[in-house]
Formats: sequence, C-alpha cells, structure tokens
Amino acid sequence: MKKIIPICLLLLTLCLAQGVGAHAVITDYSLKITPIRANSPAQVELSFNSKIELGLSQIFLVSIGDKHTLLQADKGSKQGQIIIHIPPLAAGDYALRFKVFAADGHLTEDIIRFSVSE
Amino acid sequence: MAGIADFLDSLIGGFDLICYSLAIGSLFWGLFVLRPWHQPEQYPALLLQKTITLIYKGGFWLAAAQLFKIILKIWLMAAVLERSPFPDFAGTTQFIGGIIRTLLTLVLAVYSYHVLRNQPFSKQHWISAALVAVPMIISGAWLVHGAGRFENQALLMSLTVLHQLAAAAWIGGVFQLINLWLLRNNHQLDGGLWPLLLKRFTVFGIASVAALLISGLPIALQYIDSWNGLIGTGYGNLLLVKITLMAIALGFAWLNKSAVSDYGLSGNNYALTHRVPYYIEAETFVLVTLLFTAASLASQPPAIDIPNLTASWQEVLNTFNPQIPQTSSPKHTDLIAGEAGRVAIVGQTPSLAATEWSNYNHNIAGIFLTVMSFFAMLSYVKYPALRPLKYWPLGFVGLGIFLFFRSDAETWPLGPIGFWESTFNNGEVLQHRIATLLVLVLGIMELAARMTKNPDSKLPYVFPLLAAFGGLMLLTHSHVGFQAKSAFLIQVGHTTMGIFSLILACGRWLELKLDQPSKNIATEGVYAESLPGAGGRIGSLPIATLPPSLAVAAIAGFISVAALFQIGIILMFYREPLY
Repeated sequence: MKKIIPICLLLLTLCLAQGVGAHAVITDYSLKITPIRANSPAQVELSFNSKIELGLSQIFLVSIGDKHTLLQADKGSKQGQIIIHIPPLAAGDYALRFKVFAADGHLTEDIIRFSVSE
Repeated sequence: MAGIADFLDSLIGGFDLICYSLAIGSLFWGLFVLRPWHQPEQYPALLLQKTITLIYKGGFWLAAAQLFKIILKIWLMAAVLERSPFPDFAGTTQFIGGIIRTLLTLVLAVYSYHVLRNQPFSKQHWISAALVAVPMIISGAWLVHGAGRFENQALLMSLTVLHQLAAAAWIGGVFQLINLWLLRNNHQLDGGLWPLLLKRFTVFGIASVAALLISGLPIALQYIDSWNGLIGTGYGNLLLVKITLMAIALGFAWLNKSAVSDYGLSGNNYALTHRVPYYIEAETFVLVTLLFTAASLASQPPAIDIPNLTASWQEVLNTFNPQIPQTSSPKHTDLIAGEAGRVAIVGQTPSLAATEWSNYNHNIAGIFLTVMSFFAMLSYVKYPALRPLKYWPLGFVGLGIFLFFRSDAETWPLGPIGFWESTFNNGEVLQHRIATLLVLVLGIMELAARMTKNPDSKLPYVFPLLAAFGGLMLLTHSHVGFQAKSAFLIQVGHTTMGIFSLILACGRWLELKLDQPSKNIATEGVYAESLPGAGGRIGSLPIATLPPSLAVAAIAGFISVAALFQIGIILMFYREPLY
C-alpha cells in the first residue's frame, strides 16, 4: 500500500506531461506591414515582451512539405527585438518557426505563417 | 522529451515554493509564533527539534530543487536546440542566479543544522538564522517573472520577493501546525500548547495574508490592464484560480479561527481536536495546489502583452454553454485522412473530424462521470435496493476501457501503428496509455476500498490523494499553448475542472477523516440519512443528536460528489475549437 500512492503520483506526473510552455511572446513583427517580395533577400523584425537569450534561440524558415532551414538572427536596436535574415524565396506559402529562451528561463515555441508574392 | 522536461520544470517550480515555505515559513514560525526564548520551560525540546528540522530539511530540499531546475533547463535546451547549450547558458542570469541561490540556501540549511539545532532556545541564534536567510531570499529576485521585464523591473522583482515571503509565512506556518498536531496526537506534546499556538498563529496568519494581498495587488495591476485581460487570458485565468484557491483556504482558516474563539469562550475543545486538524489537512491540499498554480502562473505571458490574443468574456462564457452532448463519432477513416493537413506547419488545414472526435471523447467521458456522480449521490440514501450503488467507482473501469480505444485513433487497436511501437516511440501516446491505466487503477482501488472488511485499511485515502494530484496537474499544465486564443479557451474548462477536482479531494478527505467515518461510508453506508434532504437522520437517530463532525463529514462527502458531478457536466458540454 505504501508504494502504491507514490507510484500512482509518479505515473500521473508522466502522463500529464505536456508540450513546451511560453512566457516570452511576440508583441509585434514587421511582416504585418512589410510583406516579403519573391526572389529578393529580406529582413524580418520580431519584437518580444521579454529579454531574449539569442545564443540559446533558433529560428527556422519552413517551406512546403514542412522543410526546415535554420536562419541567421541578430539582436535588434530595441530591447527584446530580433532581426532575422531571410534568403531570396520563390512565391508561395512559408512559415517562421522559432524557439526562443527568455531571460526568465522560459522557452517559447511559436509559428508565424506568411506568403511571398511576385 | 522536451515536453517532459518542461513539465517537470513546472512541477519543480511548485516543489521549490513548497521547500521555500518550509524553510522560510518555519523560520518565521520560530521567530514570531513560538518565540522559544520567552518562557523556554513552556516548550519541550522535541518541539523545537522538529521545528528546526523542518527549516534545514526545507533548506536542503530547496537547494536540491534549485540545482535540479538548472539541470532541467540544460536538458530542455539540449532537447530543443539539439546541441549543448554551453557556453551560452553559463552566462545567463538563470544559470548564475540559480547557482548563487543554491549556495546561499545551503548556507542557511547548514547553519540551521549545525548551529541553530544546538541552540534552539537562543534568541540570538534565531535572529542570526534570519540574517543568514536574507541574502538567499533576495537572490530569488533574479529568478522571477519580473527579471525579464523591460518596465518597472526592480519594483516587480521586489514585490514578487515580498509576495513569496508572505506566502511562505502563511503556508510554512500551516505546515508547522500539522507538525504540531502530529506531535500532540502521538502524545509527545502538552495538550495546552495546541490551542495556545493555534491562537498565536491566527494573528500571525492574518498578518501574512494581509501582506500577501498588499504585495500581490500591485503585481497583478502591472501584468493585467483590463477586465478582459483577467477573464480572457491564461495569466488572468490562473490568477482567478489563485484567488479562488485562496478563498477556499481562507474559508478553512476562518473555521479554524472560529474554533479557537469558541474554545476561548466555552473551554470546550471538541472542535479543536476533532475538526481543526482535518481542516488544516484539507487547507494544506489547497495551499500546496496554490503554490503549484503560482509556479505555473510565472510561466504565463502577462495579459498586458497579448491584447490581440485575449478572449472576450462572452467567448469564455460560451465554453460553458450547455448543449446537447455529441454522442455520435466521426468515422475513423475521416479522422486519419485529415491528420496530415491538421499537423502541417505550411498549408495547415483544420480537421473537422479531429475536432468532432475530441468532442465525442470528452462528452462521453462527461456522461460517464455525471452518471457515476449521480449514483454516488444516491448511494448515500439508506435504502436496500440502492445499496449496490456504492460501487459506482466501477464506472472508472468502464471509462478506462473507453479511453483505451479512443484516445489515440492512429494507433492500435483502431489505427495502423502497433501497440508497442506507438507506446514507446511517441511520448503523447505513452502519456495517454498511462492515463488510461491510472483511471483503471483508480477505479479498481476505490472499489477495493469499498469492499474491504479491514477497518484500518488505508485504501480509501488513495482516491482523494489522486484526485487532489489530478486537480493540481490540471492547473499546473494549463500554461501549455496559451498563446493561441483557441488553446486558452480549451484550458479554461480544464482549470475549472482542476478546482472541482480539488474540492472533490478535500470533501472526500474530510468525509473520511472527520470522526473517522471512512469505514462506514466504504463498507456500510451508515450515515446515509444524515445528508441534507434525506430526513436529517442517521438510522434511527435524528441528526441533532449526532456528534457534530459526523454531520459535517456527511456534508463534506456530498460536496465532494457534487464536485465530481460538475466535472462531468463540464466535460459533457465540452466543445473544442476547430484548429
């Protein structure tokens, strides 16, 4: 009997483990006002509500078929801002998938979907 | 693996706060409630020894938890980034602050173990212990939510530390009351100390709660800037949960205070010894859950930052809107056909079949629980024909079988992926399998509890403990995916069920503990007629002639079943947003 309760509690812990949590969120991004044109490199600005540990963060470009390409990112001029360098893209649907660590230690995973037009 | 690491990170956050409350709250208890340097002859050495033991054990566990948090972060980052997080991680505030706090906590624990333990009646040593604790308390400021903010950073960090201190004073004091009761119950303590220290703690507890509110209110106003933010975001939702839990805990505290006052007026200690200890146990359930909720809250994006992702109060209310449960399932082939589009990042297509599949699962589970709770209510009625209804937990076994078939439609027995392959190669499927097993185990164990002839069986306590833990889990994991409004609307129902799970647990615990009627409820159903609306009698005895705690226990049991009914209703009306 003494062992049953701890085992049940342990199993419950495992069974309810879920996906990754979030604290830092995007408060603004430049794609909203500056769409990307086909076949020309571009920069996308992401603004977060928290300080970001850039060295511990990753941003991917996701194209049709969910193919992932790691993108280069730099700190922006404002606090919590990241500049992402996008290579020339053909017209179509894409997404930015990012995994960033906030200064308070929490991980954020999110996706921004966008389209590239001629 | 990243999901498990992150969730363990949430859990360790709650555990961290429990240890903090044990260490710091016990220190407060010694300094302000016990004050052993006044009239040292009043206190047995054993009481001081146990009090100080909780300080240094809390300290050592806190240091271990802090270290484990760092290890979990490393694990999480390695899993997500698919590379070592060093050397970048070594330069972060989280790493440096975490290591410093671990070391400072160890200093407090070692001082308490080596010095304070040998000088338990010395005022000077108690004050020294408090001074040793100060750097550790301050160091925590760099590990809280406010540390990552751009505005009012210092103010938020300071207020959060004060908030944590006030919570530790209250909750640590409650832990000490349990310690005190255990000593008294084992006849290791003079009976007069129990009411004396309860009375002293009443004043101290009120001051702690006042400090908790005074420090918490400005933090809430910094992070939530509108009523919609309070109602329509994950942050606001968990804050409301905290307020609800605090109200429940204060309800128990009020019952305790009333018992102490009554004792002061009448000298009758019946309530002090037959009710208060169990109210304190139930209050502990609530406070521990509160700490885990607080840890979960710290991982939420503040409402002020996500105005575009905030749900309106109408949308929130709509999630609880009564509607006809979905009792027909979409075809399995339709579900499988829509999965690829639903999980795609580029070109994502919402799957109606997946949403309806989920609605059906939730609604049927709700029907299971609602029917079970209805049978459970009837089982309190002392009527021979209704006697078999006390085996209502059999429904959990049925629910477990239902979940086994329905939870993961793409795997065996319904889908093409084999049982072992799906169980061990997919974390989510593994979690569902374990959840299914647990529901089955819960049903079987509660059935066994109701069938046992052993009057000293501990089996009846498994149910409320697991229910409390289930409630805690529902509240703790609620931060997942809160960025999307639809995900938040899913979570609102889950956090509400978490609160009802806790009420279920507390009610059942009190039913079992108050005047120990567990043997009766599990095997005989003796006090069935003491329930409201059941004639106010137990057998041939009018309720007025019963020991008061027996009637209170029966009411607590009924509240517990009513909470199960509410969970069933929420599930029965559940509707998942299309995504």
